[in-house]
Amino acid sequence: MNNLCTDIAYQSVNKFGEQLCGDRVEVIDQGEENHVIVLADGLGSGVKANILSTLTSKIISTMMANGMSLENCVETIAATLPICEVRKVAYSTFTIVRTIDNREAEIIQYDNPMLIILRDGKNFDYPKNAMEIGGKMIYKTKIELHENDFLVFTSDGAIWAGVGTTMNFGWQREQIVEFLEKMVHPEFTAKTVSALLLDECCKLYGGKPGDDTTVCTVKIRQRKSVNLMLGPPRDPKDVNKMMSLFFAKEGKHIVCGGTTSTLAGEFLGKPVTTLLDYVDPEIPPIAKIEGVDLVTEGVITLSRVLEQAKSYQQEDDIYADWNVKEDGASLISRMLFEEATDINFFVGRAINPAHQNPDLPITFNIKMHLVEELSELLRQMGKRVKVSYF
Amino acid sequence: MKVTVCIGSSCHLKGSRQVVERLQALIAENNLKDKVELSGKFCMGNCQHGVSVTVNDELFSVSPETVDDFFKTQILSKI
Repeated sequence: MNNLCTDIAYQSVNKFGEQLCGDRVEVIDQGEENHVIVLADGLGSGVKANILSTLTSKIISTMMANGMSLENCVETIAATLPICEVRKVAYSTFTIVRTIDNREAEIIQYDNPMLIILRDGKNFDYPKNAMEIGGKMIYKTKIELHENDFLVFTSDGAIWAGVGTTMNFGWQREQIVEFLEKMVHPEFTAKTVSALLLDECCKLYGGKPGDDTTVCTVKIRQRKSVNLMLGPPRDPKDVNKMMSLFFAKEGKHIVCGGTTSTLAGEFLGKPVTTLLDYVDPEIPPIAKIEGVDLVTEGVITLSRVLEQAKSYQQEDDIYADWNVKEDGASLISRMLFEEATDINFFVGRAINPAHQNPDLPITFNIKMHLVEELSELLRQMGKRVKVSYF
Repeated sequence: MKVTVCIGSSCHLKGSRQVVERLQALIAENNLKDKVELSGKFCMGNCQHGVSVTVNDELFSVSPETVDDFFKTQILSKI
């Protein structure tokens, strides 16, 4: 066991005019610490490419998940993939990354652009062993991983970006490396890096990609806990218990709610200083308590966080509001979506009589529902979420 | 003089922001920045009668409609 984890994110755009993507990424988790990621690119585009890349990635990932050796999988896939009658080439190229214990990676590459490793912000040249399996030239690498390593791999759509439009020969791997070295900061998430690179490819294509393009990023990072408390406990006698448990937790602490922050201030023996800056007219200002990383209002702020979590899942807008704004909700969103890998919710079930008014959108049921929905979305983002009720 | 406006959930929905912004404007217009300290507080436990505002610990209920009157009678006249 170590305190590291693997952050995986991928994103695709389709060839202009196509409804299906010919690239496919499959991620299989083998326990929490081991992952197999397969990026397959079916030759051509549209339905045929889609079916073939799906087939390839599914076969490889399923076999891996069932404990077959990497060589075995590659042999099977190499022997199974049909050679196109017309083109005399295999239908689907692939990159496999298998991370072990967040410490080690096996990389198998067949005909996709060579995977890029960024270590300490610089391109890291890694050894590759060429071997022929079933008549296919396959490159195999086994390396140790460090914290904040980024493994970035793409389908060939990425290196064709700009051919004949913005550049004569597209941008080569070297230029992608240069771009990544310039743009990527160690605190970026895998999702941000994938989105950044894909966005740049789309720009080079002039918004009309000439090929399906997929970027997948695997980042090794420290696990980080963020604890969020919302609402006072149902039984006022439990205030001290709830506060002690909450503040004993490692990591950052967010306190949401008016009464809750007053109680937290009393528990810590520190004043609650409320700011009067309406950064966003709809979100109440934040407050400060020494010893708490962030203090906000409760239900209105968290409702906004929930909205932002939903859009995080659906859209890939790296310039989304929550990424840059300084209101309470955006601050919480950044801490939960980007910083945290482990999130502990401390939810108090006291009912505020003043809120049980049908005219107010902040009733008890809404609050409970909010937490449930938000936890579910955070789990889908790959976070470990624990909810404790008081 | 210390004026504190509640910006908790309930008061927020009843118009804390408008009250705060109007008070900030009125204080500036009357050059009272040195005399009136305007601050916020999360929940004063008076949610039913928001927007809650205290003037030197005396509690009032203010709304965006009554904030001008409130300023005249409770703040301006008492300075």
